[in-house]
Amino acid sequence: MARTVIDPVTRIEGHLRVEVEVKDGKVVDAWSSGTLYRGMETVLLDRSPEDAFYVTQRICGVCPISHSHASAQATENALGITIPEGGRLVRNLLEAAQFLHSHILWFYQLTALDYVSPINALNADIADTYALAQAAGTRVADFGAVANRLKAFAENGQMSIFSNHYWDHPGYALPPELDLIATTHYLEALEVQAVANEIVAIIAGKFSHPMTSVPGGTAFVPTADKLDDILFRFLKVKEFVDTALIPDTLAIAPFILDATTYGGGCGNFISWGVFEKSDLVPENRYMPRGFAQGLKAEGISPDDVTEDVKHSWYSSGTGLNPSKSETQVKYEEYSTEGKYSYGKAVRAKGLPAESGPLSRMIVTYLAEAAGTDVTGGAADVRTPKMLIDSTLEALGVAGKPEVLVSLLGRVAARNLEAAYVADLALVWVNELVAALAGGEAKFWQAAEKDTGAGVGAWEAPRGSVAHWIDIKSGKIAHYGIVAPTTWDIAPRDDNDVPGPMEQALIGAPIADPERPLEALRIAHSFDP
Amino acid sequence: MAQEAHGAIYDLLAVRGVSRRDFMKYCGYVAATLGLSEAAAPQIAAAVEKGAKLKPALWLNGGSCTGCTESMAQVDTPDVATIVLELLSLNYFETIMAAAGEQAEKNIADTIAAGNYLLIYEGAVMMGEDGNTLLVNGHKGKDILEEAAAGAQAILAVGACAVDGGWIYAHPNPAGGIGVQSFLDSVKVATPVVNLPCCPTSPEWVVAMVVQWLLVAGDDPAVFLEKTALLEKKYHDNYRDADVSLLYPEYIVGSTIHDNCPRRGHFENGEFVTEFGSEEEAKGYCLYKVGCKGPQTYTQCPVTRWNRSVSWCVNSGAPCIGCGGLNWVDNNAPFFKRLSSIQMGGSLGNVQPGSVGAVVGGVAAAALVAHGLGMKAAGRIGDGPPIEEMKAYDRKRMAKGGDK
Repeated sequence: MARTVIDPVTRIEGHLRVEVEVKDGKVVDAWSSGTLYRGMETVLLDRSPEDAFYVTQRICGVCPISHSHASAQATENALGITIPEGGRLVRNLLEAAQFLHSHILWFYQLTALDYVSPINALNADIADTYALAQAAGTRVADFGAVANRLKAFAENGQMSIFSNHYWDHPGYALPPELDLIATTHYLEALEVQAVANEIVAIIAGKFSHPMTSVPGGTAFVPTADKLDDILFRFLKVKEFVDTALIPDTLAIAPFILDATTYGGGCGNFISWGVFEKSDLVPENRYMPRGFAQGLKAEGISPDDVTEDVKHSWYSSGTGLNPSKSETQVKYEEYSTEGKYSYGKAVRAKGLPAESGPLSRMIVTYLAEAAGTDVTGGAADVRTPKMLIDSTLEALGVAGKPEVLVSLLGRVAARNLEAAYVADLALVWVNELVAALAGGEAKFWQAAEKDTGAGVGAWEAPRGSVAHWIDIKSGKIAHYGIVAPTTWDIAPRDDNDVPGPMEQALIGAPIADPERPLEALRIAHSFDP
Repeated sequence: MAQEAHGAIYDLLAVRGVSRRDFMKYCGYVAATLGLSEAAAPQIAAAVEKGAKLKPALWLNGGSCTGCTESMAQVDTPDVATIVLELLSLNYFETIMAAAGEQAEKNIADTIAAGNYLLIYEGAVMMGEDGNTLLVNGHKGKDILEEAAAGAQAILAVGACAVDGGWIYAHPNPAGGIGVQSFLDSVKVATPVVNLPCCPTSPEWVVAMVVQWLLVAGDDPAVFLEKTALLEKKYHDNYRDADVSLLYPEYIVGSTIHDNCPRRGHFENGEFVTEFGSEEEAKGYCLYKVGCKGPQTYTQCPVTRWNRSVSWCVNSGAPCIGCGGLNWVDNNAPFFKRLSSIQMGGSLGNVQPGSVGAVVGGVAAAALVAHGLGMKAAGRIGDGPPIEEMKAYDRKRMAKGGDK
């Protein structure tokens, strides 16, 4: 049987290898491998908790805010700090800005080129493009100017970032007018994601690598001026989500409906929960903490996590909870039978578990269906259940949420989540305005002790992130991290059960093993 | 200048809705970032107009978090900046390129074979486990760099990790991360490396260097080295146990953050933030007492600022953590403490005999000490953290006369 390798998987953060075995046009086995080791947990030993806050966000330049929040929460949990209300709202806004940046960048810059061909866009009829955009309810722009720009680019002959890709693959099946619309929005998205990150810069100094959500709350003190600067940017980003991201998703979906039939994977979904309400209870977050198997809701605790290393390049203990994790690196030759990844096989309750927007949307959908409030009482918030139900209806599969457990479901869930977060952000800006007007807003709380152990379990745009810390006399005695991608690209565990991305690949059609576009789409759908 | 070339650039601008006036303004901004006078703007504009053929470039990721790539996606005035960036044909750029796997790898091989390309490197060079701590399609990351570097005309090492290993290099450096220059020394590749500091680096600095290379220096390594004001910094790479000499653009690392800090006036007045999220922060007081490393960090962050100049670290209420310095984690952590024995990261010196760059560290640091002592005498600092003494390095600089 033929093995097909994608290495490097591009358009991601970090270094990923995907290997699939293809038989009769289908993937029959798959391996995902993280090929970079940096040793962060070891570097943190004997340093101060605030150093962990600043260093751990450097795991990922695309989701540094979520790592910084998980790290700060771990320290707060360990030292018994309750962050003040002002700190909660500022952190929610900062996290929301990053979610919106990340989801927009992911759809247009990272995965769209798996479906959209800017080369085919050259064949578009401009008048038809306007007609299509209006019919699809997506935003119009100067499509003619973009077409000219693409033409100039193509005629130059140097294709830069578009070079040497298999644009003639039959999987590129959109009409040229839709390719032109999506390419136009690709360019606009570059601008809009930068606007989202201006919010990050206002609150946290810069993106990437934010400065202010320090253990205890935030070092950022909003003023009326700064909130005004934040609000108009959120409105601008929300407008793009509503007029491009969502309608584009719905316009492209009918051309890739077969993607509802594969790419689902293990069917276990984890969410640590994200966006705090005033009670700071993880199970009551706007997107609550929870676990789902077969679309049935369960509880989940950081104590339920273990990491196996049978197939990973470590010589240290296996099956350990990250509060006691060991990270002794030991490289051996890459072998899919033996060891093949620097990622550990992280498991929840012993099971592989997918993390990310699809998991959060499912966990939140199930909680909402069971009567949990996910708006904080605010009107005008499109909830995950509303968004999912209306999308299923639009695609002709009303009342069948199980369709979500697929490649297309994973793509759509991320974009629908962006709409929910964009609505919530406006709620929090208003809450912060009210808190400032009340004059009692507090933003930071000092620690009263310097010893303790704790965990901060939170969500990054791409998935579940948790940091475990053990502090003795103000110094870090142990630090354990499970990053979002660790869940999704996990290799086989000690029982040889494949990880979530591996399971999602198995069963997928591959039209041409030399040009494994479908595998690339599945890998990208996890936003690894 | 040929009329058709002249027309081409303005056509390009026109389809993006950029006026000539905006374009000239941007060229002035680039000139400022390069430390040139506004008068250089027409010269830069003329050079941009000439750049019709795209310059091949490779952007390689070593042991990185992709934060510097993300930073590049936040460039100022994107429509104009992208014109400059699009002067590059980025034949390999993992995070945004369409191709993957062997199709992507072919782009590296083709570019190296064709020659005359620039190399931009993000992330640390991974040496641990015999170079296996970073693998790309079975090749060690360090070997890919060695091959690409040997054939490149010049290299931009972008961000702290590429400069000296960044946080990965911090003790005990279990993954063996080191900087690009140190690695190239070890494999005897002499291609010139220009280092751009900070974690992440600033996109404006990268754009400025591309302009400097392509347009001011006319794509010629010798002219580039001659015409760019560069500063040299030396450090000892503990992983290799070797001395390394780094080149930086002078304008970017020539003065401290403290020198240009908009909160500097509060420092002079002895007005400090002592608690995060406090009333003093709302007033924009100085963050020195909560650990700000601005006085010993040599970058122009307060000038360029971040995210299209919207803000920067100190402006948001956080102390500088010194990510623009060498071995920045070991030298600056714990980040909320004022360190009385900070390392300055080696000597600054000007390696370009023909350029006029001055070393400003000496006088700035001396002034800082004078202010500190003055305020302590006046009782305005009270029981705050100890003011650092003048460094041996600074004394030496002072003895030589400091700034000229």
